[in-house]
Amino acid sequence: MKGGEPMNIFEKVIMGPLESLLDKILLFLPNLMISVLILLFGIILAMVVRVIFAKIFKALSIDKLLEKTGLMELLRRGGIKEAASNLLSKLIGWIIIIIFAIISMQALRAPAVERLLEQFLLYLPNIFIAILILFVGYLLGNFFGRTALIASVNAGLRVSGIVGNFVKLTVFMLSVTMALEQLGIGRGTVMIAFAIIFGGIVFACALAFGLGGRDVAKEYLEKHLKGEKPKDDIGHL
Amino acid sequence: MRAVNAGLSKYFPDKKGVVINSDGGSTDGTLDVFRNTTIENYQAIHLHHQGEPFFKIATPYHGIPGKGSAFRTIFEIARALNAKACAVVDSDLRSITPEWIELLIKPVLEDGLDYVLPLYHRHKYDGTITNSIIYPITRALYGKRVRQPIGGDFGFSGELAKFYLSKDVWESDVARYGIDIWMTTTALANNFKACQAFLGAKIHDAKDPGADLSAMLNQVLGATFELMEEYASGWKTIKGSEGVPNFGFEYTVGLEPISVNIDNMIERFRLGVKELMPIWKRFFSRDIINYLGKVAELPRDKFHIADEIWVEIIYSFAMVAHKKIINREHLLKSVTPLYIGRTASFVLETWESSAEEVEEKIEKLCKIYEEKKYFLVVNWR
Repeated sequence: MKGGEPMNIFEKVIMGPLESLLDKILLFLPNLMISVLILLFGIILAMVVRVIFAKIFKALSIDKLLEKTGLMELLRRGGIKEAASNLLSKLIGWIIIIIFAIISMQALRAPAVERLLEQFLLYLPNIFIAILILFVGYLLGNFFGRTALIASVNAGLRVSGIVGNFVKLTVFMLSVTMALEQLGIGRGTVMIAFAIIFGGIVFACALAFGLGGRDVAKEYLEKHLKGEKPKDDIGHL
Repeated sequence: MRAVNAGLSKYFPDKKGVVINSDGGSTDGTLDVFRNTTIENYQAIHLHHQGEPFFKIATPYHGIPGKGSAFRTIFEIARALNAKACAVVDSDLRSITPEWIELLIKPVLEDGLDYVLPLYHRHKYDGTITNSIIYPITRALYGKRVRQPIGGDFGFSGELAKFYLSKDVWESDVARYGIDIWMTTTALANNFKACQAFLGAKIHDAKDPGADLSAMLNQVLGATFELMEEYASGWKTIKGSEGVPNFGFEYTVGLEPISVNIDNMIERFRLGVKELMPIWKRFFSRDIINYLGKVAELPRDKFHIADEIWVEIIYSFAMVAHKKIINREHLLKSVTPLYIGRTASFVLETWESSAEEVEEKIEKLCKIYEEKKYFLVVNWR
C-alpha cells in the first residue's frame, strides 16, 4: 500500500489532469484543424475573388469614377498611390478573409471566443454604417464646398476660400457627429456640442457683420437696392 | 409687332402669313403688348405657352418654361400649317425693321435655302461670348463661317422645322435654354443649306449687365459641349472652314459707346486664379497653369491672355466635359473668371481699335481655333 500511494498521488495530481488535458486537446484538435482549413479556404477564396473583382472594376472604369469624386486625391495626399480598382478588390479580399476568420473562430467552439465574437459581430454594423456616413459626408462636403466656392468666386467675394471651406467643413463635421452618434460615443453630447458650436459660429458671424461690417452692409444694400452698380455695359451673348 | 406686320404686308403681300407670340412663361408684359397691337390683314395667334401639361390628368404641370419650349410651339404650328418659311425674332428688339422679315424669309422662299442666320453690326464689346467662344468654335467644328450662331433672330424652312421636331430634345435643357446654338448646330451638322442676312444694328431692351454671367456661360457652353458629343463623328472629319452666302446690303450704323470696368474684371480674374486653381489643376496642362499664374500677377497695363492659351483653355474644358472628369456644373461655372479675364485682356488690347480691326482680331482667333482643332480630334475618345 505504502509503495502504491505515491504512485496514486502522481496519477491523480499529474497524470489525471494531463490525461484530461490530452483528452481536451484531442477533442479540440479536430475543431482546430477544421478552423485552420476554413481559414485557408477563405484566404484562397479571397485571392481568387480579388483577382476577379480587380478585372471587373477595371472593366467598369472605377478608377475614373472615383477620381471624379475627389476621393483618390485624398488617398494620394495620405500617401496611398495604388489604383482604386486594386484598393477596392483588396478590400473585398480582406472582407472575405475576416468573414472566414470569424467562421473559423466559431469552429473552435471555445466559449470565451464565442462571447467576444458575438459582441464584435453585434457592433460591426455600427462601424460599417459610421464609415459609410463619413464617406458620404466627405463626398457631400467636397461637393457643396466646391459649389459654394465657385458661386462666391463668380459673385466676386474676396472671402470665397473661407466660404468654400466653411461649407465643406460644416457638412463634414455634421457627418462626423452622425457617425459618432451611430457608434454610441457621447450620444447626445456630441450632437448638442455640434449645435452649440455651429450656432455660435453663425451668431458670431451675424454679430461681426452687424457691428463690424455695418457700413459695408449699408453700402452693399444701397448699391444693390438702388441699382448703383459699377458701370459695365459689355453685352456677353 | 408692327414691324413684323409691315414686313409681311410689304414684302410678301401674296403670301398667307401668321404671326405668333409664343410665350415661354415670361413676365415682362410681352403678351399684353401683343394683345393690344392691332394687326391688319393677318391673322394673329395669341398663344400663351405654359408648356402643355404632359401629365395633366395626374397632376397640374406647367411644362418647362423657356425659349426652347416657345420655339417648339412655333415649329409645331409651322408643321400643322405646312408653312414654307418661318422667321423668329426676339420680342425685346428695338432695332427691328420690316426689312428684317424680308431678309430672314426671302432666302428660304426664293433661293431654296434652309437656315438664315443674322448678321448684325454690334459694338465691338457686344456679344463677347459669341466673339471669343461660340463663333470661333462653331466655325472650327462644323466648318461654316456663321458670324452670329446665337443671334436669336433666324429664318428657316418648313422642312427644317419638321426636322427640329423630329429630335427628342424637348424635355432636356434645350427646352429651357441653349435653343439658339442647338438650332444652328443641328442645321449645320445635318447639312441644311445655311446663309446669313445682314440685318443692321441689333439693339434690344437693356438687361442687367452682370446678370448671372456664370449661368449664361453654363447654358451656352453646356449646350455647345453637349452637341459636340452628338455630332462628334461629323466634326472630327472637317478641316478648315468656308463662308456661306450672304444676303442684304451691308451698311455702317452708329453705335453708342459703352463703358467697361476693366479693374473690376481683372480683380475677378485674379480671385478666380487664386481660389479655383486647385480645380483647374486637375485638367489643365502645366503650361496653362503656369501661364495663368503669371498673368494674375501682371499689372493692368501689361495684362494679357494670348489667343493660343485661350483656345487651349476652351478646348480643355470641352475635353473635360467629354471625359466627365469633374461635375459638369462645377466645370462650366469655373469658366467664368477665365472668361472675364480674357474679355478684360481683349478690351485692353482693342481699346483704340476700330470695328474692322476688332473683326480682324476675331478672324485671327478663329484661325487659331481651326489650327488647334487637332487637339480635340486626337484626344476625343
